[in-house]
Amino acid sequence: MSYDKIFKGKRGDEKFYLGNEAIVRGALESGIDVYTYYPGTPSSEVGETFMEIFKEVGMKWVERSINEKVAIEVAGAAYARGATVMVGMKNVGLNVASDPLFALATTRPKNKNSAMVILVADDPQQHSSAVEMDSRYFLKIFKIPALEPSNPQECLEFTKEAFKISRELKLPVILRTVTMISHARSNVIVGEIKPSGIRDDFNLSKEVNVALRLYFLELKEEHIYNRLNQALEISENSPLNKIENENIKNKFDLGIITSGVSYSYVGDTLDFLELEAPILKIGFINPLPERKIVVFLKQFKQIFVIEENDTYLETQILAIAHKNSLNVKIHGKDPFSYSKENKLLSIVGELNPTKIALALMKITDIKPKIDLNQISKKKYDTLARNPIMCPGCPHRTTGYALQKAIKKIKLISGKNIYFYQDIGCYTLLAFPPFSFANVKYCMGSSIALAQGVAQTSESFNIAIIGDGTFFHSGIPALLNGIYNKTPILVLILDNGWIGMTGQQPHPGSDTRYYKEGSSKKAINLEEFLNGTGANVNVIKHYENNDNEYFLKLSKLIYEKSLDVINNKNLHVIIIKDECIQKTIKRQAPVLRYIDNELCNNCGICYRKFLCPAIDISEELVYIDQNLCLGCGICEMICPNKAIHREEL
Amino acid sequence: MNFDSYTIVVTGLGGQGLIRFLQILGNALMIKGYKVMTSETHGLSQRGGKVSCFLRFGNKLPAPIPMIGSADIILSLEESSILDVLYYAKPDKSTNLIISTYEKQQIDTKYPSLEYLLSVLYENSENIYFIPVSEIAVKHTGNLKAMNSVILGYILKFLPLDSNDLEESLIQHFSEKNLELNLKGFKEGQKLQSILSENE
Ligand SMILES: Cc1ncc(C[n+]2csc(CCOP(=O)(O)OP(=O)(O)O)c2C)c(N)n1
Ligand code: SF4
Ligand code: SF4
Repeated sequence: MSYDKIFKGKRGDEKFYLGNEAIVRGALESGIDVYTYYPGTPSSEVGETFMEIFKEVGMKWVERSINEKVAIEVAGAAYARGATVMVGMKNVGLNVASDPLFALATTRPKNKNSAMVILVADDPQQHSSAVEMDSRYFLKIFKIPALEPSNPQECLEFTKEAFKISRELKLPVILRTVTMISHARSNVIVGEIKPSGIRDDFNLSKEVNVALRLYFLELKEEHIYNRLNQALEISENSPLNKIENENIKNKFDLGIITSGVSYSYVGDTLDFLELEAPILKIGFINPLPERKIVVFLKQFKQIFVIEENDTYLETQILAIAHKNSLNVKIHGKDPFSYSKENKLLSIVGELNPTKIALALMKITDIKPKIDLNQISKKKYDTLARNPIMCPGCPHRTTGYALQKAIKKIKLISGKNIYFYQDIGCYTLLAFPPFSFANVKYCMGSSIALAQGVAQTSESFNIAIIGDGTFFHSGIPALLNGIYNKTPILVLILDNGWIGMTGQQPHPGSDTRYYKEGSSKKAINLEEFLNGTGANVNVIKHYENNDNEYFLKLSKLIYEKSLDVINNKNLHVIIIKDECIQKTIKRQAPVLRYIDNELCNNCGICYRKFLCPAIDISEELVYIDQNLCLGCGICEMICPNKAIHREEL
Repeated sequence: MNFDSYTIVVTGLGGQGLIRFLQILGNALMIKGYKVMTSETHGLSQRGGKVSCFLRFGNKLPAPIPMIGSADIILSLEESSILDVLYYAKPDKSTNLIISTYEKQQIDTKYPSLEYLLSVLYENSENIYFIPVSEIAVKHTGNLKAMNSVILGYILKFLPLDSNDLEESLIQHFSEKNLELNLKGFKEGQKLQSILSENE
């Protein structure tokens, strides 16, 4: 998709948009001035698109912030000053952003233009997340309105609605999506783009005072009881909460309440079961429209609540039914039972039409023509495939060098050695043949985890962290270790970019050859760390011609490890080896070939090093020329000197 | 054929270009007047792991994930990967199984045998088509990258689209540099007969 398609096109045009692209369009149609974000699947495309187009469309400011907390703060101040702003992140990003958001949610900007929407993209089934986190419970803590679209068209419309509500109530509004919405692509009819309209008619000092004054509880009450009450009225009357098939009756006396992507599954499932049922679709997910829900509940003996992950809606609907003394059986995931056996649906994993159909069959005893139970029992002997780092990935080189060094360190020191992983492509070093992960939590935690064990045992502890993650949230933990003189080894895998989420730049990236050009100042990690007084070493492999690189890296790790063990010093090694996906965008890779005369099939390159470009066919090892990206490490590690730069 | 509600399951390995494939096909179907929904999973699966995506279209907006036992076409860009999604095949054996003969072996793991694969496929469908996509791409365009365009050409006959519709979509999605290659692959795909059809 070329980016300009997002802002071209006039009212009524039909586009084939990703949910995330529709969100961008919706924001442009709302006159957005500022977008800040931190990348994270499945939310990244929104930010990357704004980054590409913002100058052309005349937005005031777009930035890929250092982390989600900073993103909220930068945009939050622009919001206070009268801008229409949006902030984007993935589910766990909201944890990082939550501290400032708490305070921000209680303020009330004076400028009539102020509007703030926060995109939070959840990832049921954790397709690309370390945890499956339902961000909706945050809505209750923040006490702010939230909308949830159920397809790309609604992504556009709900984004516009979210800005409208925020501007009216002077509250930030959350737009919640899930992977199957953000990454669904579908027909989208667009509207008219509204130019960015930030003006200078504001008085910031007053607004800051508002924030301070909110320490008084009466202002908190004003916030909760006045503005949320207005939000509730909007929710009660909003077409985003709508009843479908209103006049239909089925013999089970059953109605369905659902929202977001689950709504689209419900439609297909009812067709499949040839069942007709009224549906209350909740698009305005906080505050819930109690009156509307009561009117709906009253019509049925049974209700089935269908939602992704946690029982956010169901718990509240149970409470609403009780409060209004309604005698209706509410089916769902049952928030008060933890026995897996009798669950209709689970709070773990992603929903789909099959799961919903099987649950509805239990409630209704409908037997469809197609036997779903039978089909879901089918199991075939398929090939298990672990995700694997790209051919030529620098992390594989580091992993292999680390493995070599560790063997020697173990032998010499007799120590137990533990590894603390962080979040990024290198997390895949947790899989065999490397298996470097004793503990791994969330972004930025590796360095502190290593300290927790180093301070309480005699073991040797190694933190493995990417450069992107180090900037995001690793810095305070490292300073903590330096300050406390904790003897650990920290390996910063500086591949130059945020590899995992699409090779975006971070504050240390050299963007001279890319779109950002010299508009950013790259922070020199080495100089920065030298300023802390830590023991810092740097090793570089950017130029692809140092045949000794691999040995040097292994030796460096070995030496510094011994100093950590023997002299209780903290060491940092910055390993500068670029993400190969980025390197090949600037220079054509020099592919490698195997001389089968010299190769004795020792298996080092394809089994121990595990480059996926190296394969074996009828006892002959070969390099797949469609896969090799020319990192050259196989050439360095082949004990038989069988790997060359020329085809023989 | 019932195009009021039609489901294609596409499976393969990360990096095989499934997402672009769906985009090209989906765009053409949208212009033809259908309501289209594709789902894409990004992330870890892009690192050589398995990926399955869906393209659904019809006169009503479909959900991004289909019911099991409901696919009209299952397309596998890597031979044995089809085993992962066979439960989407219809129990009446009418689903078209289209399988690229491209095999990606994995070190120290046993690749499913052809006998096993065939026996399981016949259990699930009477319409099985193997196509030597990579050979054709290399032979006629000199570039493996044209693989997915060959498949687009091939599956055209199953869909309510003309050659022009998809050509138009290819033109929109490829830069000038890669366009010729892919148009060529697309033409070759249309000429293609599968190496194993239901009667063999
Ligand atoms: C709080 C939070 N925000 C965003 C993400 C998404 N995410 C996963 S890995 C990653 C960064 C990886 O960058 P880096 O540490 O440089 O490692 P690389 O992938 O380049 O090896 C991000 C942003 C996340 N997991 N958690
Ligand atoms: S085959 Fe060798 S040069 Fe090519 S990517 Fe793999 S390790 Fe690097
Ligand atoms: S994207 Fe870059 S860092 Fe990530 S696995 Fe591929 S080469 Fe390695």
